[in-house]
Amino acid sequence: MKKKLRKIDQLLEMPKEVYSNEPKITLIGFHEMIIENFKGIIEYEEYLIRINTYIGIININGYELKLENMTNDDLRVTGKLESFDLEPNSEEE
Amino acid sequence: MLIKIIFYYLLGYVRIVIEGYYIERFINICTTQKIAIWHLKREKNVRLSLNIGIHDFKEVAKIARKTKCHISIQQKKGFPFLLHQYKKRKIFIGLLILICLSIGISANFVWNIEIVAENEQMFEGITNDISEAGLTIGEWKPKINTKEIINQVRLKRQDIAWMGIELKGTNAIVKLVKAEAKPEIINEQEYCNIVSDKVGVVTKINAQNGTAAVKPGDTINVGSTLIHGWIEGKYTGLRYVHAKGEIEAKVWYTKSKKIPYQLTERKDTGSEEKSYSLKFNNFKINLPKKLSKFQIYDTIEEERKLKLFSNFYLPISIVETTNKEQTEETKNLSPEEAKTLGVEELEQELNQEIPDQEKIVNKNINTYERGDSLEVFVTYEVLETIGTNEKIVF
Repeated sequence: MKKKLRKIDQLLEMPKEVYSNEPKITLIGFHEMIIENFKGIIEYEEYLIRINTYIGIININGYELKLENMTNDDLRVTGKLESFDLEPNSEEE
Repeated sequence: MLIKIIFYYLLGYVRIVIEGYYIERFINICTTQKIAIWHLKREKNVRLSLNIGIHDFKEVAKIARKTKCHISIQQKKGFPFLLHQYKKRKIFIGLLILICLSIGISANFVWNIEIVAENEQMFEGITNDISEAGLTIGEWKPKINTKEIINQVRLKRQDIAWMGIELKGTNAIVKLVKAEAKPEIINEQEYCNIVSDKVGVVTKINAQNGTAAVKPGDTINVGSTLIHGWIEGKYTGLRYVHAKGEIEAKVWYTKSKKIPYQLTERKDTGSEEKSYSLKFNNFKINLPKKLSKFQIYDTIEEERKLKLFSNFYLPISIVETTNKEQTEETKNLSPEEAKTLGVEELEQELNQEIPDQEKIVNKNINTYERGDSLEVFVTYEVLETIGTNEKIVF
């Protein structure tokens, strides 16, 4: 059933972040990151932010990290970004 | 984003500090409860500062208690707090309202009347006529009926061709156009005499139509008939005509002046002092320094009206009084010097009066001793064509 719905959506050319729970990560320069479709924050320190999404966890490393703007479904991180890595959930595969 | 900041500024927001071990949980609960939070900053291991709107503060305090965090307000920002700050300053707010009200009220009155004309000196007493018609300084604007004022003034005066009143702010602009004075036109067909309009001696008379009433050498007065508007024929009898002709006469222009032998002359020394005073309509407040330190001085007063914008005049004006120091010098004139001085001044006056300098035939100067002064008479003999038409009334 789910797979069928997905195919219809793909045919209609809907943006992926709207119909699925998959996060969209936008990186603007080296100082700003926008994450849409997030679930919650696991850890927040000045040098590390761990963000939980529906398909896994996003780790952001850097200095002077700030959560600039938070709404129900998108999040803006600013600061000196150094690296980020992804930890996919094992059962999703 | 900018719109959002302005929106929150208008509603008011607070920067709070959260201290505790479950800060991540606090953030997550806030997002799930759809509370807008922004500018989050982790300061130390256990501290987080963030902004929230003031209407969410109670909710946030509840969440903080649930997550066992300590909450404190760091800064209050926004318009409601600014308003609250000024609530305590009652006199300030009161005066602000008073000033706004007084400006609003005073905008409904006329505080300045500006007369715009090509040559303002030509309209003598126009300011009086306008104020009598109902346009005065301090008049309530809705009460002014411009059409009626224009009608009243135009009925009163003959020398206005066009008049317009424009109310701009607190300024009333009166525009005037001069009407040319026209001589009375007498129809060619109508019977008329030619009469003299000056005093003099006739030198030449040439009647083209009508009968000459004077001969060369006759002295004439104002109003005496020069050419009669009738012709008497042997067979036709008395016949009335439109008199026509040229009359040339010697006319005298005389001016006199008394010149005292002791003349005091005033000269500016160059030093001056200024004093200012405020004026509300007729009520004057003198600012200090009133008495002049000069012994002899000339005073010049200049009034300047205060205005906010180009046409928003206020009922307050500043009067600047300038005192110019002067020195007096007494000069003793000999009779000769007095005469030349008097003649010079009188000739200048006469030259202004007589437009055609070439027709001056003779100049006469007479002087009379009058005790401590000399009276000088200057007489010009001028050849002029005279005469105006006068209708014959039966």
